[in-house]
Amino acid sequence: MVGDCALTVEPAGLYVHVPFCRSKCRYCGFYSVPTAGWDGTGVPSRISPRLGAPPNAMHRVWEPYTGRLVAAMLRELDRYEGVQFRTAYVGGGSPTALPPEQLLGLARRIAERLEQVEEFTVECNPGQVDAELLADLRRAGVNRLSFGAQSFRAAELELLGRRHTVEEIGRAVELARRAGFDNVGLDLIFAIPDSTLADWQYSVEAAIGLDVQHISAYSLSFEPGTVFDVWRRNGRLAPVDEELDRAMYEWVIDRLGQVGLPQYEISNFARPGFGCRHNLGYWANRPYVGIGPGAASYWQGDRVTHDSNMEWYMAAVESGQKIPGAVERLGWEDRICETAVLSLRTRAGIDLAAFEHKTGCDLLRTFAATIRRYCDLGLMEITGCAVRLTEQALPIADSILCDFAALE
Amino acid sequence: MDIQHIRNFSIIAHIDHGKSTLADRMLELTGTITAREAKDQILDSMDIERERGITIKASGVTMEYEYAGEGYMLNLIDTPGHVDFHYEVSRALTACEGALLVVDASQGIQAQTLANAYLATEAGAEILGVINKVDLAAAQPDLVAEEIEHVLGIRKNECFRISAKTGMGVRELLDAVCELLPPPADRSEEPLRALIYDSHYDDYRGVICYVRVVSGSLKPRQKIRLMRLGSTYQITELGKFRPDMRPVEQLGTGEVGYVIANIRNLGDVRIGDTITDDARPAPDPLKGYQPPMQMVFSDFYPGNNTEYPRLRAAFERLALNDASFSFVPQNSQALGFGFRCGFLGLLHMEIIQERLERENDIDVVQTAPTVSYEVLMSDGTVQRIDSPSELPDRTKVEEIREPFVRLEIITTTDTIGGVMTLAESRRCKLVKTDYLNPTRVMLDYKAPLAEIVYDFYDQIKGISHGYATMNYEFTGFEAGDLVKIDILVNHTPVEALSLIVHRSNAEARGRKLIIKLRRAIPRHQFEIPLQVAIGGKIIARETIKAYRKDVTAKLYGGDITRKMKVLKKQKEGKKRMKSVGSVEIPQEAFMSILDTSD
Repeated sequence: MVGDCALTVEPAGLYVHVPFCRSKCRYCGFYSVPTAGWDGTGVPSRISPRLGAPPNAMHRVWEPYTGRLVAAMLRELDRYEGVQFRTAYVGGGSPTALPPEQLLGLARRIAERLEQVEEFTVECNPGQVDAELLADLRRAGVNRLSFGAQSFRAAELELLGRRHTVEEIGRAVELARRAGFDNVGLDLIFAIPDSTLADWQYSVEAAIGLDVQHISAYSLSFEPGTVFDVWRRNGRLAPVDEELDRAMYEWVIDRLGQVGLPQYEISNFARPGFGCRHNLGYWANRPYVGIGPGAASYWQGDRVTHDSNMEWYMAAVESGQKIPGAVERLGWEDRICETAVLSLRTRAGIDLAAFEHKTGCDLLRTFAATIRRYCDLGLMEITGCAVRLTEQALPIADSILCDFAALE
Repeated sequence: MDIQHIRNFSIIAHIDHGKSTLADRMLELTGTITAREAKDQILDSMDIERERGITIKASGVTMEYEYAGEGYMLNLIDTPGHVDFHYEVSRALTACEGALLVVDASQGIQAQTLANAYLATEAGAEILGVINKVDLAAAQPDLVAEEIEHVLGIRKNECFRISAKTGMGVRELLDAVCELLPPPADRSEEPLRALIYDSHYDDYRGVICYVRVVSGSLKPRQKIRLMRLGSTYQITELGKFRPDMRPVEQLGTGEVGYVIANIRNLGDVRIGDTITDDARPAPDPLKGYQPPMQMVFSDFYPGNNTEYPRLRAAFERLALNDASFSFVPQNSQALGFGFRCGFLGLLHMEIIQERLERENDIDVVQTAPTVSYEVLMSDGTVQRIDSPSELPDRTKVEEIREPFVRLEIITTTDTIGGVMTLAESRRCKLVKTDYLNPTRVMLDYKAPLAEIVYDFYDQIKGISHGYATMNYEFTGFEAGDLVKIDILVNHTPVEALSLIVHRSNAEARGRKLIIKLRRAIPRHQFEIPLQVAIGGKIIARETIKAYRKDVTAKLYGGDITRKMKVLKKQKEGKKRMKSVGSVEIPQEAFMSILDTSD
């Protein structure tokens, strides 16, 4: 029951990491290299938030380099021949920072490779799409788009360092619809320094007004190494008050629920049936393969994270070597704990039967004392065949999840 | 040696009034040690004593001296100088016929000197007044002589004026010891009775007993009996401190020395016990010392739970040569296993803690000191309780009585106002004011021990710019408006934090504690009320706010490894906590609340 055979029959996800952005957003801790202002020689490493506007002409300069990387990623994908992926997700970075023909090439090759893919998402910057690109992506087999909208307040976009306008968000969603996408998501950020509850409500209402199928609402976090983190430490920015952060979070849960976008994960909301299947795979602790520099995989019981150095990555792939990175072999206990922690992030919670099937142990027995204590505190509930966090537990979920991070 | 030529005496003095320097000069003058050998304060064998400038343990040295053409054996039995060591002073004095009362010529009589002088008088010792440091520019020997006469009734012209530092007047003082102090009573024909006035443990030789032979004599290989338990031993070595241990062939009546008899069990030897001859035992033991009155109690917990057995072993050793210290196992919900320890006073407690850490290298957490109470039950019986947790059910308690002391404070006339204000705020009642001279005054108070046991001494030292000295003496238990306050964390009482206090202080003391708790307990997923209660009634409340937001916004494929590590660490942190009413309290937080050193 427990063993690698259980893993191999589980549906797997494919993640492709495009480690480029037009420019680095000030809050973003993901690995990416800003291409604006880069002459295309060597590996850009310095992150500068104050680069000039990116003329499309810039594409030409670094085309050979990104082309080589895309080719390397596709070669890495070849290593998984015979594996059936059920979902695919191209993220970043910013996939739309690639020259359109390279992005399309990547999408087509992935689609060819994945005959029976259920969901194929590409992350897009609303300022970097046009009707032609979206139509081509749709034709290539992409069936879901996720736009990094972040805010509908111009001042907030400016502060975040986003390179698109409020108007471009609406335009992008409209173009997507016309291109035949019926599964579109928007990412929003709340608890932006200096923003008010009213600002947040404005952005959420605007997103609702675009009639999308999926909204992600992320509380801003100050990731190490970001401009925001530096600004916070030197006093230029102050995180919003914890109470306001919580109020914004509780409000969005309520509001999106009212308009038919119920919460299905800590930060994710969707029309029924439109939850992101690829991401649901992470929270169900299913296997996935990450392609590209800095990408992470959970494959055959190992958690593998590629080193983010692009040159090393490309050299390793091109010469057929092992890609440098960190490998962690998960034990029996890790699998139990990770499954519990990840599943608890979803509103559905931990399905008791699925948990036992996957880990070979009885959740209610394994975490008996913890579950009882949190049920008594009104922070967890047992609903039919699952254990989940209650609504009031969501804003403080980490303080509860940590009790599931190791066995008693 | 002929018993008429033996003199047993002690030096009693306030800290820094020169007792140890005087002892050094005497050792030199009598040739017991050479000046080159003379390490400063040779009698104090423990580092800690030398550092603090106080003598903790009594020890005895035998010196040979010639006076008026005749040889004398002088046994100097050292005494501790501090207020907390009444008991040790009194037991040293029991082994003596005389005492030298040393007073600093510039500082005059201090409260503790006075208390020790009373003890010497009670023990029947002859007292010689000695004014030391007369060579200093600030010396006022005439004024001090008047004080001594005024307070102790020793005539001012009979006081010896010396400088222990330069040796001036010390020879005359030794002459006076031979001439004026009485010899021991001659009981050499009676059965052996030797008083154990001190002891220490040697890893190789077992227990070493410090004895004063009161009647009969001790000889090597003699079979002896300890009268308290009736246990018997054979003497393997007999000797004197000169000042190092030197074997002798006999210790006769009136003499002072040590006995080694292969005693391995620490518990067999009690200070105050009588050694007799197993073949010809004395009918009765010597009148032992009064058991020490332990008035101050505090819990000691090992900083690390695995050190509990070592802590126990260390306490056993300390108790061996400190009969005034006691310890019983204690199990606290908050801190795990430890010991409730009884002390004579606050300094005594501090010294035990330091000796524990220094001699045994054990890190300990020590709770704030409390006093002992008497409880009159509804059925008329009286119970003694040493900890608030022992307080019986309220409905069965008729009254709670607390220990009172006679408190003497000597201070300068210009700081008297501040000292009196402090004393009044601590429920002390002024009994008498006595001007020792135009600049110095002695205040005599009736005071509840609980009020002075904590930081009172530090405070009067501050108010008087270090000048004031104090001494207290237990007088009895008296009923008071005392209440037990409970500290409730999330509606659950935390026994380790309960206190017995006077009703007038209840709210202030309780609030101080919950404010400290509020700072020490991390926020939880829910609001935590911290309450102070008397009986069932809440008299103060503080609140630890709940976490409002603690959730990772993004957790996707690339975030899992890192996030799991963070969560595991968060859980590890929780593991080190104690759970009280579903509230996780870090042990360090308890320690910071209970620890007195803040």
